[in-house]
This record gives sequence, C-alpha cells and structure tokens, in this order.
Amino acid sequence: MTSTTPLLQVREVVKDFGGVRAVDHCSFDVMPGTVTGLIGPNGAGKTTLFNLISGALPLTSGRILCDGRDITGLRLHQTFALGIVRTFQIPREFQRLTVLENLAVVPANQRGERMWAAWLTPWTVAHEERRIEAKALEVLEFVNLAHLADEYAGNLSTGQKKLLELARTLMAEPRLVLLDEPGAGVNRTLLNSLADNIQRASAERGVTFLLIEHDMDLVTRLCNPVIVMADGVVIAEGSPRQIQRDPGVLEAYLGGMVGGAA
Amino acid sequence: MAGIYAVFALGLNVHWGYTGLFNIGIAGFFALGAYTAALLTSPAADPLLFEEFVFAGDWAQLGVLDLGVDLWFLVALAAAGAACGVVALIIGYVTLRLNDDYLAIATLGIAESVRLFFLNEKWVANGSKGLYQIPQFLEGWLPSDKYNYLYMVVVIVVLVALFALVQRVMQSPWGRALRAIREDEVAAAASGKNVFRFKLQAFVLGAVIMGVGGALFAHHIRFVSPLTFDPLLGTFIIWAMLMVGGAGNNLGAILGAFVVWGLWVGARFLPGELSDPNFRFFMVGVLIVAVILLRPGGILGELRRVTRRAAGRSAVRLDDG
Repeated sequence: MTSTTPLLQVREVVKDFGGVRAVDHCSFDVMPGTVTGLIGPNGAGKTTLFNLISGALPLTSGRILCDGRDITGLRLHQTFALGIVRTFQIPREFQRLTVLENLAVVPANQRGERMWAAWLTPWTVAHEERRIEAKALEVLEFVNLAHLADEYAGNLSTGQKKLLELARTLMAEPRLVLLDEPGAGVNRTLLNSLADNIQRASAERGVTFLLIEHDMDLVTRLCNPVIVMADGVVIAEGSPRQIQRDPGVLEAYLGGMVGGAA
Repeated sequence: MAGIYAVFALGLNVHWGYTGLFNIGIAGFFALGAYTAALLTSPAADPLLFEEFVFAGDWAQLGVLDLGVDLWFLVALAAAGAACGVVALIIGYVTLRLNDDYLAIATLGIAESVRLFFLNEKWVANGSKGLYQIPQFLEGWLPSDKYNYLYMVVVIVVLVALFALVQRVMQSPWGRALRAIREDEVAAAASGKNVFRFKLQAFVLGAVIMGVGGALFAHHIRFVSPLTFDPLLGTFIIWAMLMVGGAGNNLGAILGAFVVWGLWVGARFLPGELSDPNFRFFMVGVLIVAVILLRPGGILGELRRVTRRAAGRSAVRLDDG
C-alpha cells in the first residue's frame, strides 16, 4: 500500500454484449500487496471484468495495464505467463483428472510438456515430475485436500472444488490472483481456512489478490480497499468502513427498498 | 487386417480419446497415407493402361535411392506418416480453432475432398482405376500362400512400436495437458496452456499414425483406389473400434479393433442373409449400443492415474469405466 505504481491498472474499459453494455468505462487500480475486494449487486459486471482482465474475452474499448505494461488483448494463457491467475465462479476442474493431476497441470514451462520430451529425455521429465508432485502435495496439505489427491476432481463437493481452484492458483506462483466468489458454497469452517490461506499467501508470498465476493463478513475481514460496481460502473472505492456508509452504495444494493438498513 | 485397423484406432485415440478432437475424417489420412506409399513404390506405369497418368512411380527401381524394394517399404511408411503430418499441420492450423461439431464437419469434408482429389485428378494416381501391383515387403521370402503370416508379423511390430510411443507420450506431462484440454479448454488456458498449440501437436501426431496405417494397408491389399476410402469403412468403423474398446486407453483401442474387425469378418461366414454387408453393419451397431449401455467407457475404460505413493502401482482400473 505504500508502493507507488499500481500492479493492475484498468482504464476506461468498456465491454458490450450485443446491445447490452456490461462494463461501462470502468477505471481503477490495484496496488501491489493488497487484497482488493470487488463487490456489487448481481449483474454489475464483476465477472465480465475478470474475463476482460484475464483475457478470456476481448474488450470493446479501453486499456488494461499490468505493472505499467499494456496487456490489453492478450489471451488467457498469455496473461497467465505474466503472473495473472484467475479462478472461476463455477469451478472448472478437470473432471476426469485426479486432484493431484489437476494441480500438476498448472506449473508453467514444464519440459515434459514438450511432445518429444517423453521419448527423448524421459529421465529429466521424471525428475521434474517428482518435484511437481511434491509441490502439488504441499499445496494440497495447505488447503486440506491431501487425502483426496488420487480422487477424480469431478467427484469432489462444490466447496472442495473451490479449494481446488484456490490450490491451482497457488501452484502457479502468481503475482495477481483474481478470485471469483471463492466463498460461495463453502461452509463456515472451510471459509475460515480459505480466508486464512488468502491472508497467508498475501502476507508471506506477497501475492496480490483481487476478489469478487458477496459475503460481507469475508470482505470486511480480508479486503482493503474495496471497489463497488453497479450496472457496469465503479460507484465507490475505499475501506470497507467507508463504503458501508456510502449513500451511493446503499442505493445500489437496496435501490427499491424503502427505509431499509444495511 | 485387424492389426492395421488397430493402428488407425490408436491414431484416433490420440485425437479423440486424449485430446477430445472430434475427427470424423480419418479416411482422408487413410487415403493420403495409402496413396503416398503406393506412389512411391508401385512399378512403372504401362502407358497404354495409364493414359492420363503422368507420374511414373517406382522410385525404388528408378534408382532415386538405391535401397531396393524392401527398404523402400520402410521409406514409404515414413513418407506416408510425414505426408499426413504435413497435411494435418496445414488443416489443423485452419480448423482447430473450431469446436467439436464444427471440427467434425470440417474433417469429414476434408476427407471427402482428399478422396475426390485422387478420383478426379487422374494424373496424380490414375483416377478411379486406382493403383495396383503395389509391391510387398520381403516379397518372395515365403511362398505366397504363407506370405500373409510374414506380413502379420510386420504389422504387429509396427503396431507395438507405435503403441509404445503413444503410451509413453500420453503418460507424460504432455499427455496430461492434452487430457486437461479435453476436460475443459478454458480452464486449461487459465492454467497457462497454449491450447491451440497442444491441439495442433496432437492432431499431427494422430495423423502421422493414421498415415502409417494407410501405408501398411496399401502394401497389404496391393491395390488402392478412391473407392477404398469411403466414410463407412474408412472412418466410422474405426470410431466403432475406439468406442467399443475404450477411448482414452491405448490397449482398449487395439482390443476394440480386433473385436470389431473379428465380428465384421467373422459374420461373413454366417449362413444366407446373415452375412449380408448391411446386416453386418447392423451387428456392429448392436455391439456399440450394447457396450455403451453396459460399459459406457468401453471394454477397457480410461485408467485413473494414481500416484505410486498411494497405491504402489502407477495406475488402477477405473471401477465405473
């Protein structure tokens, strides 16, 4: 938070789906080392914004910069290479791969992922595999999934799949992690360990997080600052305490209700 | 013959079983591999019979490379694989951005284009009359009535070699990335994988294998014509083999080839109407339905890769496969 250059800069980003403007001239910064929250009512454009930042969707106009470098228009695997790793709101695990394999897929630049390697340099590959497997097991311990290492990922519960998604981001040694509703469908105990994991990764590994979440307890506990979106526009930005008092935010969340209290 | 089909099933397994590429244009690579081998080894054309056929063939006896016919067989196998690889690279570069159904239509169309090319461009390969008198490997070593046993051994050697190569590469991280792409392309990309590059590599590898299969076929039948490579016997029976044997399992692919081919050929000896080709296709259909109902993953389904740490074995059978 003391650092001067933002890790991620979103500038005047627009995304249209046909006639619907999902994201409308969004601009904000994410400072390195922070856990930044992104909240807003359903349909505010939060997940779309994640898709734009990570390169899953092309943007209509605007620019996105990472570390001052223009990353507008890069594809998913290219933003990954720059250290931007995302999770999905609805987990997208590799169902017929085991939990361990799901993680082993992640590390970048594996020699064994070159087609010739298995035929020409099997020992190097085997050596590398042992390292990746050890690391994957370590990450699984970290998120309490080690006992399921050999289970098919498709057989996990929704909450466990969420943890697997988080584990996948930790395998990658990312700089910026985009978490899309990590808490949804996760029970209280798992949620606490999830929050601990995020805080630890942030504090110990210096990973920056940008997370979408509806659970305000989790947001208040983890995030500072918090960015609020509604109808594709950023309507407020500040500490959790500040935004909870912001009349515009209350309006967006409680719009139609009369005299409702947050 | 079943061994040759097993080679195709193995190639299709690389496409569909591991990578999820819906290729229903196997016949295209089949034809290309067979024609490549045939053109490289066939004896010089008789100008009376081959009016419009300008390509003389018979590189083996032209002394282009003085290896003799038998070594040219090996060159032809490699060339057939290489030709399919190059074509797959070009086709794949254009079509692999398409998903599932669209890729299927594209591959089917390309396979038919390849067949019609050989049919209509008579100067390339004698059009509908086809190429014949394709020499055989180690011809004359055994009396011709026993030759088929020798060739069976040749086919099995090639099949085992290809099986070992495919098995090895599919158990490597490269194969794991392919399976991840099969499961969820977007998530694979979000895990930093260049999905297009992996798919292209897999497409080329599978096509090379199919090309080798085509070459083996040409030297077995000793005759190739465009009519050989219709979608039914050139593509769909191979799909039947993979579905019956088990997609995602190389042994399954080979087993499926033997089972389906056994049924296909065995039914020829049934009495009367039962040996009718249409009825035999019907029986292959019944077999597919039966396998899908009883064992959805095929006779040998995909194996779950369990780490040695846990099971002491590298893989165990999947119970519900």
